[in-house]
Formats: sequence, structure tokens, C-alpha cells
Amino acid sequence: MEYTISLAGNPNVGKTSLYNRITHSLEHVGNWHGVTVSEVSKTIMYDHHTVNMVDLPGLYSLTIYSMEEGITRDNVLSGKNDLIVSVCEVNNLSRNLYLTLQLLELNVPLVLVINMMDELKKQGKVLNYRKLESFLKIPIIPMSAKYHSDVHLLMDVSIDYIQHFRGNKVKLTYLDKLPLQDVMSIISANASNAGLQPRWAAIKVLEKDEFVLEKLALNDEQKKALEAFGDWQSKVAQARYEFIDMITEGAVSKPVYDEHREMHEHVTHHVPLETEPASDNETLYDRHKRYHDQYKNSTKLYMQAYSRIDKVVLNKYLALPIFLALMCLIFFVTFGLVGNWLSNLLDFLITKFIYAPVTNGLTSINSPVWIVNLVGEGVILGVLGVLKFLPQVVLLFFFLALMEDSGYISRVAFMTDGLFRKIGLSGRSVFTMLMGFGCSATAVLTARGLEDPTMRKKTVILTPFMSCSARLPVYTVVAGAFFASGKFLVIFGLYILGAAVSLLLAVIFEKWTKKLKSGKLSFIMEMPPYRIPTLERVVQIIFHNAKVFIVKVGTVVFALNVIVWVLSNFSFTQGYTAGGENSILALFSGFIAPVFKPLGFGNWRAVTSLLSGFVAKEVVVSSIESLGGVSVVFTGANASLSALTFLVYTLLYVPCIATFSAEIKEVGIKWALFGLCMQLVVAYVVALLFHSLGLAFMLNPGITVGVAVVVVIALIVTGVLVNRIKNRGQCSCGCGSCSLACAKRDKKQNEKDDKDAGKK
Amino acid sequence: MTLMDARTDKVYKVKEVHGDGNEKRRLLDMGFTPDCKIYVAHVAPFGGTILVGLRGFMVALREDAASLIEIGEAN
Repeated sequence: MEYTISLAGNPNVGKTSLYNRITHSLEHVGNWHGVTVSEVSKTIMYDHHTVNMVDLPGLYSLTIYSMEEGITRDNVLSGKNDLIVSVCEVNNLSRNLYLTLQLLELNVPLVLVINMMDELKKQGKVLNYRKLESFLKIPIIPMSAKYHSDVHLLMDVSIDYIQHFRGNKVKLTYLDKLPLQDVMSIISANASNAGLQPRWAAIKVLEKDEFVLEKLALNDEQKKALEAFGDWQSKVAQARYEFIDMITEGAVSKPVYDEHREMHEHVTHHVPLETEPASDNETLYDRHKRYHDQYKNSTKLYMQAYSRIDKVVLNKYLALPIFLALMCLIFFVTFGLVGNWLSNLLDFLITKFIYAPVTNGLTSINSPVWIVNLVGEGVILGVLGVLKFLPQVVLLFFFLALMEDSGYISRVAFMTDGLFRKIGLSGRSVFTMLMGFGCSATAVLTARGLEDPTMRKKTVILTPFMSCSARLPVYTVVAGAFFASGKFLVIFGLYILGAAVSLLLAVIFEKWTKKLKSGKLSFIMEMPPYRIPTLERVVQIIFHNAKVFIVKVGTVVFALNVIVWVLSNFSFTQGYTAGGENSILALFSGFIAPVFKPLGFGNWRAVTSLLSGFVAKEVVVSSIESLGGVSVVFTGANASLSALTFLVYTLLYVPCIATFSAEIKEVGIKWALFGLCMQLVVAYVVALLFHSLGLAFMLNPGITVGVAVVVVIALIVTGVLVNRIKNRGQCSCGCGSCSLACAKRDKKQNEKDDKDAGKK
Repeated sequence: MTLMDARTDKVYKVKEVHGDGNEKRRLLDMGFTPDCKIYVAHVAPFGGTILVGLRGFMVALREDAASLIEIGEAN
């Protein structure tokens, strides 16, 4: 038989981890909400059945708020699933069950997975899932997908359940409190026309779900009749949660001391007592109840997601320094300490064991010169020149994954939200931008979790300015050639520049463009608890990223490099010309080259490498290598300045085709093209500014620095003055921490005014 | 008294969620229903955003969302 089974649940409950376990895939997982942004499916064979597993983006409710949640809702409503596996997390069971109840309202075949049992065990708690089962009347499977988990049990139960499914038997008693019959009598005809279940549609009408209301296409009379019911929004939610509170009461027992637990096991699960209880008048059952009440009434709210670490990490004064220090550390390890050493080792091995033997071998068998050069320069130096950056790229991805999996990235989003809202972005954009340090194309896709379309557009357009891992080989090779000792500083500066440019553009968009101005936005983001990635996951991250990088170098970079080498070493008339001043590419790129004259690298070689970089940024460096190396590409009196300007340009211009197509997918061709043009213009302008400043500095360092300082001070002073003038009359404090106080004060003032008005 | 006026590390009870449309419903869906116990764990370093704990999980809210949540003393 052929079945379709979908995984649905709240964000960050481990749906993708479970999916990876079942299908043996390597889909991206992380410890924050909204990692999965699209429907992923894979067909597997299980016990003579063909099972199509579908992984869906997380959502809190079937009434949706952002794009990716819509994907899940549409899938669930489509009716193509033979079974939905509702994945819950044991730490906040009640909110997870909220979605499960909504799925039960839909009356779809449902199996409940309760994930992260390992964390419950660590807290010394137990889950009485039999109790939940007796209420919900669906199979419940506790597991921990992060570690070893019994997916076979889940699959066996699921397939068995599909085969014997005769409708859900659960009694959703809370629905009796809602005026569903009355609503259904009004809308039932519309619901069957729209292909919705009348009862479910009625519930959603009470919740004022825009999607359902639109689908029902009610006439004015019906709308009026519905309005007479009044506001049921909060009552629906409350009814659900009350029901959940009822069924979960005591399902997860709180941390108990041994005697309590023993009593509990004895009374509830009939486990014989190990120790003889002291004989007094209290029965065992009563004693258990006493312990139980004692714990139930403890007022302290236990939160796994907020720990002592957060008190430090989110401290008012320490938060930002800690974040910056961490970034510096990551940077230092990746580029300096470990990464550099590993790269040099790889470089040494490549030159010694591949380059030298192969070229010598080719020469010894009297191959034509152009073949020796094609293989030697074009393929080995170019492609392997990129490949040697494997350790650094893998390290960078490893650290990013660590930030993601530990949950720190959510803290960064939380603490920077105050800053980011001022420039029209939200803390949520920080996810996307930090991911941009890894790969721009995949980072752009994570922007889908942003609810506000304007903010999503901005984030997507600005993320490519963050320096991605593909740009890293370019910096290292070029900066390494010109600034041996200052290499580290140059690369660091470039990363900062990328981030600064994107933030500056965000400010400009927010202040001066109407189309890209974000409105009033609420920021509702769940904070995951800190989690330690498993060793298995760490190994996975390393091997997966290494594989991706090697495949990219072996295909795209290799192919393009051969093309560039051939085109730059053959001319239309003379055939093979070493050096290639008359080659096909020299003609073509030489035509564009004058545009880059003001930037200092207006020669055909530099332009060729930039052009080839449109495909993938790594190609920039492999092209440089196969065109004769850094020393040939950057010549003249100010070679080092030209090289630096070249790096600035490489940082800022279009990242790659993959990113561009991801942008089209996320924000449409119009905005993607706008982003493309903006990247080209910004790259040119910034590089030009940089180059002219550099030239001026070389002519007369003293005056240049003086003028620069004066300009900066002038800008700051005007900025402050403008702010002062703007804020006059209102609450005068500008910083975010005061704005809470401001709002409080304003509110008090309003209340006072109201009271005064009342007296009159 | 709304969540904006809450002291950190003190347990309150949700009385009501104001507002309308998406904003309100999302808060309700997240579990900010009447009688739910709630507390503010942290105020963001740059202000404007607070970290709220309820029903066993933490959620970051901006002040505009926080001001929609009416709270009262927990007994």
C-alpha cells in the first residue's frame, strides 16, 4: 500500500530531527523556531509499504501568521494525508497540545509523538502518557528524536492506525461551550461549497480566521447574523486551554523527592514499595496526595528556557560585549589559529603531492605546453587553490551551527531587537543575517519566518552584504599576498564593513524610502532552552558542509575555471597564447575594464575574475590563480590599494546566481532585480570612496585623517542635534531602556488626564 | 495594569488580552489566556523587548504586544 504521512507541530519541537531519523536524511535542523521553511518529502519503503514522509514548517495554530505557516495549513487541509503525526515537546506540553486539539477538531487521523523525553528524564520527571491517551483516544509515542529513538515503533503504530482508522473517538467536551450549532446552521451551505468541514469552519469563524472567512464568502445577511454572537476569540482559546489543563493535570509530575516518587509509582502504577513505610494513620494514597498537593501549590514557575547563563549573557551591560567577543573568537579560530594552520597544511600537501608530480609527469611524457599549463595552472592551482580553504569553511559553518543548536542565536535576536527595530528590522532578521556569514543563498531562505512582508524584503535584500564563506578564499589569497602581517586585520575589517553597509542601508531604507518602511511591528518569538548538540550532530555538520564544499569546488568551480583558462589563453586568430594578452577574454573583459579604472583595478584579468564570480564567489580566486596569480592581476604603484579596493568590491557586489535565484523565490523578480542593481551600485560607490580615500591618504596622511575625523564628528553632531530637535516636547530619552519608562510615564499622564476629565 | 508594568521575577496572572485581529489571536494561541500564570524574566539590554515565561516556555514580546496583556496579582 502507499501512504502519505505528514509531520506537523509547533516550531522547534524536533519535527525535522524525527524526519531525518525516519528517512535517513540530512535536512537542516537547529535549536530555534522556523528552521524548516518549506515542505520537504521523501518516499521510503517500510514493511512492504511505500510511505511518503512529509516534513512541514512549524506553526502554533491553524490560523496562520507567516508565509511558511501557510504551507503547513494548506497541507493539513488538503486531505491528501493518510495520517498526520502531531509532534509535541514535553517541556511545554500544554501549548503543543493546543495545536493537536485543532488537528483533532479537523477530525484527521492523528498519532501523537511526545518528543524530548530525554530532557524530562534529566529533570527527574515522569510523563504519564497513558492518562493523555485515555482522554485523547489516539496512540501516543514518547521519544527523543535527538538521540536514539524508536522510529520503528512509531511507523508500526502509524501504519496500523491508518489501516484501522474509523474516525477519532475523542470527546472534545469544550466544544459544547461554544455556540457551534447556531453558527453551523448559518454557514453550513457555504462550508460545503468551499470544501470545508462545517464544524471546523464554525470554530474558525468564531476565531475570526480571515482565511476561512474569505473561503466561505458569506453574504451580508450571514455576516450580520454572525456579528450577533459577539466576540468569541478569547473564549475559544480559553476553552481549549482549560481542556488541556484538565487532561494534562498531573500528567507530567514535577521534580519530586524519592519518597514522593516511590509513593506515586506505588499508588498509580502499582509498583511494589521497596522500603517498608512507617506505620501511621495516614494511608499510602493520602500520603501521596499530600505530597502531590504540596508540589502543585508551590508558586515558583519552573522555566527550562531561562537559566542562570541568561542572567549574564543577557545582562544590560555585558550582552553586547559578550556577543562581540564570541564573534571575534570564532573569527580568530577560523582565520587565525586553527583554520590557517590546517589550510597551510592542506596547501603544502596539494603542492607537494599533486601539483609537482602531475606537471612533472605531463612534461616527461612530452605533452603539449598548453595541456601542461591547463592542468597545472587552470585545474590544479585554480581548483585546489580553493579546495585548500576547506578547513576554514567547515570551521565557520561548525561555529554557526553551534550558535544555532545551542540556542544562543535566539538570545542574540532578543537582545538586538531593540537596536534593530530602530532601523526597521527585527531581532528575527539577525538570524538571517548571521546565517549570511555561512551561505547567502540558504540564509535568504530563512527570511521566510519574518511575518512582515516589508521587513522580509529588506532582510532578503540586505543579507547578501554579509560576508559569506565563499568570499573567504578571496580575502585570504589577495590579502595574504599584499599584507602578510596585517592579513587578519584586513579580513576582519571586511567582515565589519559588510555588516556596517547592510545596517546603514537598513537605516536609509527606513528613513527615506516609503516602500521599504516597516510599520509598527510586534515581535513574538519563542526562546528555546540551551541545548548541547550531540556528537553525532557535530560530526554530521562537519561532514555535510565538507561534502557540499567539495562538490561545489569539483563541479561549478572546476568547470568555470577550465572555461576561464581556455578563454583567457586562446585567441581567435593565433590559437594558444601563453600569457593571453590577445585572448578572447582579454578582448571581452578589456571592453568592460575601463569602468573599473577609477577603482584601480581596470585590467581585464581582475574584471574577468569578477565576472566569473557571478556564478560562485570562490571562482574569483580560482580565476585569479589561473590568470597568473595575484602579482600579475594587481600591478602598478598602488597595487596593494587596488587589491584592497578589489576586496571591498568583491565583498559587496552580487554574491552568486544561487543567492539571486533564492531572492527571486522569496521576494519576486522585481525586488530581486532591485537588490541586484543596488548591490552593483553600492559596491561601486563604496569601492570608489574607499579607493579615493586611500589615494588621498597615500598623498598626505595627516590632512586626510584630519579631514576624515572632522567629517565624522560633524556628522555625529548633526545627527544628535537633529534627534534632539525631533524629540523635543516628547520624552527626551532616546535609548530603548528608557522608552519602556517613557511609555509608562506617558500612560500615567494619560490616566491622570482621564481622571481629570472624569472629575469635570 | 499591563505586562509593561510588571516587575521582573514576580508571578502574575493574566486577566485579559486586548487588541484585535492577528496580534490578539497570536497571543491567545501562544497561551496568554485568562488565569494563566506568567512572569517577566528579563528586559532586553536595549529595551523595548521583554522575555516572558508562561506554561513552561519563554517568549520574547515587544512592548506593543506586552501592553495588550492585562495582568493582575497572582494569589
